[in-house]
Amino acid sequence: MNPRASLWLKTVYARTWVRTKSIYGEPIWVAVNVGFPFFTSLALSLLYSSAGLKAGIGFAFLGGVMVSFWGNVLWSMASQFNWDKQQGLFELYVTSPAPISAILIGMSLGGILGTAPSAMTLAIIGWLLFAPPATPLWPLVALTFALTLASLYAMGMALSSLYLVYGREADSVNEALHEPVSFLSGVYFPSSLAFPAALQAVVLIIPLAVGMDALQRTLFSLNSTGATDLTPVYRDLLLLAIMGITLLFAASKALKILEEKGRRAGTIAVRQK
Amino acid sequence: MSYLSSIIASIRVGWSRDFGWTNPFLGFSLKTIAPIASTMTAVTVLYIGFRNGTSIASGQFPMLLGFILIGATLYAHISAYSWVPTLAIAEGKWTFVFPQVYVSPKSSPPYLAGRCLAAFASSTVTSVASLAVAIALSSLLFGVAIPLVITPLSISLFGVALVVNILASMGLGFLLGAYAIFASKFEWALPTYVSGLLMVFSEALFPVSLLPHPFSDIGNVLPFTEFIRASRAVLLPLGSVSSYFYYLALSFVGGSTLLAIGLLAFRYAERRARRLGVLDRKVV
Repeated sequence: MNPRASLWLKTVYARTWVRTKSIYGEPIWVAVNVGFPFFTSLALSLLYSSAGLKAGIGFAFLGGVMVSFWGNVLWSMASQFNWDKQQGLFELYVTSPAPISAILIGMSLGGILGTAPSAMTLAIIGWLLFAPPATPLWPLVALTFALTLASLYAMGMALSSLYLVYGREADSVNEALHEPVSFLSGVYFPSSLAFPAALQAVVLIIPLAVGMDALQRTLFSLNSTGATDLTPVYRDLLLLAIMGITLLFAASKALKILEEKGRRAGTIAVRQK
Repeated sequence: MSYLSSIIASIRVGWSRDFGWTNPFLGFSLKTIAPIASTMTAVTVLYIGFRNGTSIASGQFPMLLGFILIGATLYAHISAYSWVPTLAIAEGKWTFVFPQVYVSPKSSPPYLAGRCLAAFASSTVTSVASLAVAIALSSLLFGVAIPLVITPLSISLFGVALVVNILASMGLGFLLGAYAIFASKFEWALPTYVSGLLMVFSEALFPVSLLPHPFSDIGNVLPFTEFIRASRAVLLPLGSVSSYFYYLALSFVGGSTLLAIGLLAFRYAERRARRLGVLDRKVV
């Protein structure tokens, strides 16, 4: 195998392994990560239930599942290089021959594998507690889920390069981004039923919004016949694929520019307080 | 008097930590966006339930919208500052600030109380701003006038309720802080769990009577539930001043009890941590 490709793959494996091990080596992380999304989903399920819309409970728990991944993207992808920089790890990354893009991909794969158990636990608890009515189209659900995660984590990679230039601001920006993006993406409700058409069009620039729309359409149906119009789902899938590729490209470009700039100015490993 | 100056100094530390990195306007704006979004999520769920569900009549919807707007905003307010003592300890261990507090003459309770009060003040501003924005956005999105009672009297009584709730929130903060002193990992997780539990049990989004026994009883005795009820009693038309004072008294009694328990637990934890030598143990 080409030595560069081999190094890239080995780096991906190593970073994936570290991140996965950090979760699976400490199974209590699963319980820890389930906490907040579970209670939010539970509260919103009871709200749907009190409004006489049992079908809505599925949206609440699907939202909890996806919020687990969104939180992971923000706190364990976007902020990671910033934290690594504060702790001196980033210096090791840039002085080692390991490609940064491979480290990011490894972080993403590890993040997905690490978040999956808590997301699955949440889905199972939701199912056991409420058995929300669902009409899943499994092949489309699987494809949508994979594309949503791909574009979300690609966004995390792009953000990680941006956050690299920030200090303490990164945490505040993360805190400010988490809830508004969840709301605009319609994480806990179908935005097509709540937002005006103009707002629905605007939020299509957020990968989570596109993914949620497709997942909600392929998993649940609010109409009595249970029939799903697949045209918007195919549109969403195409959008997700385009976003994933574009964000991946943007992330790699931005990192290269920042790395180059940091090396020239001698600020690449400077810790900000 | 020296306790008071320690608390005032800690309030300044808290504000400096929260807003020192930017200008105050941007800092407050960033802190206001999240509660607006979480409140809007709750009211949007209610709207979808109203449009597609079977249980809410058209006449009930504006009142329920007001119920949830107030509950969700105040829930966000409580969550924003009740876990500040835990954060101050956990982050303080990382940044070596917390061990420095112990070599100062007044030790940690005034420091944590000051940090909590700083967060209370900023969270009060952001909560009121987010409530105003959420009301405007809800009226715009759902096309309904929300029946809120906005008079000098109702606002003053609401302000008193906010102040009374400091007791309960600070008590919860000290309780969580007692855990955080010993925590070497997952110290961030407990406050998020408690915060999530409060969303279910504090009547933020739905009446606790919807919960099965004994969970509904737990919700009924929480001072946070009484605080939210008192606020609704003066800000919504169906409430009354007498019910406001009833709920406020319950909130005061519950809050004082929680504060006493929190302080005792924290004092015990602090003494034990000193003996075990873990006060400056860095979280890994």
